[in-house]
Amino acid sequence: MLFPPDKELLQIIGVTLRMSFFSTVISCLIGLPLGALIGSKSFRGKAFLKKLIHTLMGLPPVVAGLIVYMLFTHYGPFGRLQMLFTVRVMVVAQVLLITPVVIGLSSSFIESASKPVIETARGLGFSGVRTAALCIREGRSSLFSVVLNAFGRSIAEVGAVSIVGGNIQWKTRVMTTAIMLETNKGKFSFALALGIILLLIAFAVNALASFIVKEHADG
Amino acid sequence: MVEIRNLKKRYGERTVLDLPQLTIAQGETVALAGANGSGKTTLLRILAGLIKATAGTVETPEQKLYMPQQAYAFRGDLRRNIQLTRADRAEADRLLQQLGLDHLSEKKATSLSGGELQRLSLCRVLSQDCALLLLDEPTSACDAAGAALVVKAIEAYRAACGCTVVMSTHSPALALHAADRLIVLNGGNVEADGAPEAILANPETQWAKSFTAGWKL
Repeated sequence: MLFPPDKELLQIIGVTLRMSFFSTVISCLIGLPLGALIGSKSFRGKAFLKKLIHTLMGLPPVVAGLIVYMLFTHYGPFGRLQMLFTVRVMVVAQVLLITPVVIGLSSSFIESASKPVIETARGLGFSGVRTAALCIREGRSSLFSVVLNAFGRSIAEVGAVSIVGGNIQWKTRVMTTAIMLETNKGKFSFALALGIILLLIAFAVNALASFIVKEHADG
Repeated sequence: MVEIRNLKKRYGERTVLDLPQLTIAQGETVALAGANGSGKTTLLRILAGLIKATAGTVETPEQKLYMPQQAYAFRGDLRRNIQLTRADRAEADRLLQQLGLDHLSEKKATSLSGGELQRLSLCRVLSQDCALLLLDEPTSACDAAGAALVVKAIEAYRAACGCTVVMSTHSPALALHAADRLIVLNGGNVEADGAPEAILANPETQWAKSFTAGWKL
């Protein structure tokens, strides 16, 4: 199955990468600026907001899956979009899960490691948005690890995508749900092979990210 | 002009600043002196709007700039560090030359020594106009030659824009050569306030006397 890889395996890998890529990108587009703003600004209710984010960071995937399922089911508020059991709704569920992680990790980083950046930028009269942008720019190596963490969580997630995607062959089946299915069927060697591929993908992404960070470290 | 009335800053039970009344005239250069923990940095940060006072009122001009004690090197070369303030290349180069850093303009800012970095930090601040310039120990990491360049640059900047300058320092040379007025803080209170030469010659309190005695050495 692995050598040469069959069509179904390639399709599963494709869906997995597509879902993980888009959910990571969307989560980071939402989460990094919010994390930078929360980390760099002082405002009333910040402590409560941080507690809320930290709680959402531990949101159980099946709960996230259930919430998204309820929202997109035929009778739900977004039922008319007919997105349930598609890769798009799997991305929505992943975004719900990953965005708090991105916000929480990036705001903690900005708050601790970026103090001198914030002090200097504010002293120079920079706006909050400009200060946040500078914090992101200065701490991009660390923030890259936040992005990797988001990607890692996305590619390894099984509960939410299983509920909203339905693990449909040739359509919404991803590596993790395929591993779960094959294990349940007793096809351990195939499940193990899928697991190895998943690890290799995670390793390749990490290696690529480390290379990019190294290339730009002194920029 | 800076106007302070009944200013108090507390951290928990500890009062770090207690200033009933303090006025600094427009165009004046004031040096803040005092031992570690006397409230110099806290006062500067309140004036800069970085932290809030626990009580009292502080009136400052809208346009103000603050240089923190810990200089920070942004990514990129020295020129780029200055141009973060949207200064043009010519202005950046002029400031680098003024502070004796022109030969390093294309070096990475992270490779600078402490004194060089402090001068770069001053370049960044001086690349913008302001009505109130706040400097937290601007020469603390500089050698004698570097400190002289800093003093000259501050004087030139003040002459050009007529701004008020408030700087904290442990350096008698900076207070004597760059300031019109010296305020000595002790435990968050003003212990001495006047012309630097007068305070050094005749300190008003025992504590100020012991502090300035160290300077005379």
